[in-house]
Amino acid sequence: MVALPKSAVSQGRIPDRVSTRSTLHGDTVLDADVVIVGSGAGGATLAAELAEAGLDVVMIEEGRYWTTRDFTAEASAMTRQLYRDGGASMAIGDPPVMFQEGRAVGGSTVINGGMSWRTPERILERWRREAGLEHIEMPDMAAHFERVERRINVRHQDPETIGVDNALLKRGADAKGWKIIPNLRNQVHCAGSNNCAFGCPTGAKQSALVSYVPRALHYGARLLSDVRVDKILMHGKRAIGVQGHVVGEDGERGHRVVVRGKLVVSACGAIHTPALLARSGVRSPSGRLGKNLSLHPNVKLAAVFDEPVRGWEGVHQAYQVREFEGEGLLFAAVNIPPGVIAMTAHERGAELGRMMAEYDRTVIAGMLCEDSNTGRVRTINGRPQAFYQLAQLDAEKLIRGVALLSELLFAAGAREIKTPFAGVPALRGHDDTRALYTRTIKRSQMEVVTVHMMGTAAMGSDRTRSVTDGHGFVHDADRLMVCDASLFPTPIGVNPMETIMALATRSAAHVLDNLSRYQ
Amino acid sequence: MTYQHSQPTRRVLESLVPVICPPEAMELGLGADIVDHVALTMSSVPPLFRRGLVLGLATYDLTAMAWPPARGRRAHQLPPDLAERWWERWHHGLTPVQRELAKAVAQLLKFGCYEHPVMLERLGYTPAAWIDQVKRRRLQVYGDDIRKAEAAVLAPDPLRPPIRKKELG
Repeated sequence: MVALPKSAVSQGRIPDRVSTRSTLHGDTVLDADVVIVGSGAGGATLAAELAEAGLDVVMIEEGRYWTTRDFTAEASAMTRQLYRDGGASMAIGDPPVMFQEGRAVGGSTVINGGMSWRTPERILERWRREAGLEHIEMPDMAAHFERVERRINVRHQDPETIGVDNALLKRGADAKGWKIIPNLRNQVHCAGSNNCAFGCPTGAKQSALVSYVPRALHYGARLLSDVRVDKILMHGKRAIGVQGHVVGEDGERGHRVVVRGKLVVSACGAIHTPALLARSGVRSPSGRLGKNLSLHPNVKLAAVFDEPVRGWEGVHQAYQVREFEGEGLLFAAVNIPPGVIAMTAHERGAELGRMMAEYDRTVIAGMLCEDSNTGRVRTINGRPQAFYQLAQLDAEKLIRGVALLSELLFAAGAREIKTPFAGVPALRGHDDTRALYTRTIKRSQMEVVTVHMMGTAAMGSDRTRSVTDGHGFVHDADRLMVCDASLFPTPIGVNPMETIMALATRSAAHVLDNLSRYQ
Repeated sequence: MTYQHSQPTRRVLESLVPVICPPEAMELGLGADIVDHVALTMSSVPPLFRRGLVLGLATYDLTAMAWPPARGRRAHQLPPDLAERWWERWHHGLTPVQRELAKAVAQLLKFGCYEHPVMLERLGYTPAAWIDQVKRRRLQVYGDDIRKAEAAVLAPDPLRPPIRKKELG
């Protein structure tokens, strides 16, 4: 165990055990017990657990090590810096689904909203029943969830930070008599800066960047940032390390990096993990690698009120409306900066100007839909490309969700609601809302986005139907593990961060209980 | 990566600012800034997507010449009413490629427009001031709790003692 002389929890400097493109001056070869590709919810959690236990861990992250002081409300700059492909990744289908992934030390936890929910018990039971997973139900998982919740400070928001947009969402839900609950978030006295999606500028959100990554470093782990892994090195079916390269400031290919390890872990998310495995020649006898992609399709609507809202003042998603959880629908207020709202609006010209003039009186509300269809990630010239077709059932669910959420917002006092459906005029009251049910709305009219990609290297006991075993080890490979949302056998219907962290904690315990296998 | 518009690409984008952005963007003289912002955004999108956009804009510009009302002019040379109609033809185009290109270009311009400091000021959008205010308050009110939480990030776990290195083999 190696303790650093200074705290690794730093708001403005890069810790000593982090190597970046500025310090990786030549080709590099390292040896470690465990090499982990990715430093987000899965990778950082696993790294901290294993490093604390005394293993020599190296994390590799393609993105940069940004510190809390780097995070501002400049949406455009933050998007370019913190999001893969500038946030313009897209799953091809009808409709195309825009998706966002973090590319920074801390992964997507740096840019998520901080919602920290345990996997619903019905989902864990489904995983046991359908995927044959053992010790996955809540009595076994509870200790892992509790451990994660302690590490990342999962708690309710301080009430004084709840802004007008969330208060209006609650007013509407209460008026309808619908179930609404305070969100659980990973935060230490979150200030309500509403900048979650562009990095927390106060350090209150306990992303992996300020929780598991510093913990891992404190206990001796090393981190290489600005390094892209090209492939996993295989000796027969045994993973023996990874090979990659330093990514230059302008994306150019820099020095070669090789890290040899006794255990190799892919934790780069449900889009990039299957691509990394495919580039490395890993084949799943199940034929399921890259398949089973779930997205939690998400649509947003904009409700204009007569009173000032100033949605940027107050916490992001203080509440979740859980009335329709049984149908796989969750609602929340999700303030979004003007540039992003304008970008996703169907209006243009003077009409766009009129709409945006009311930005400070607008509540942006969104929904999460537990999807029933699955897509796939193909690896084309070494790069992943997602394909996803929204099921008709889910399209209907989204229409119903928009209608229900509109009812709630009208009950809260909204005077006009813009829907995410191109060609559908703004709703001005309950009659318009009811008309949504009978109107023909094609999938191609829907503006669908997501930040929850899951399932492309799914766990299961049957190697002919799943890519990984119940602890994330790749079937028919040796010493190769997956540790991210790729593992989910099905969508989970809630925000996935805590599930990823809990599975990583569980996998770490399994590795530590079976160390002799990795000699 | 650093990306700069070629002159033909810039011309087409500048001609689209009055079509896509609200009139005040032109009145305030923001057209060039918005097009510069589009270049910044395009520098971070996947290379294939970027090449597709550039090629698509060139096609958009050139194919206008074959549209009878344009009378042989390129899209960037059209007067405002025809520029609007030509863009609408792509926005509601027969092929998904046309429609997706029109949508993507509009998104880039609208994003650039409403990321411009002048436009944000007109909306009264002042997040930096809000962040400064709540950041200070957080430290004043909860300083002790915050320090304790930071210490806990690094505190050893009493339930999981470190293993000895030799056990790894």
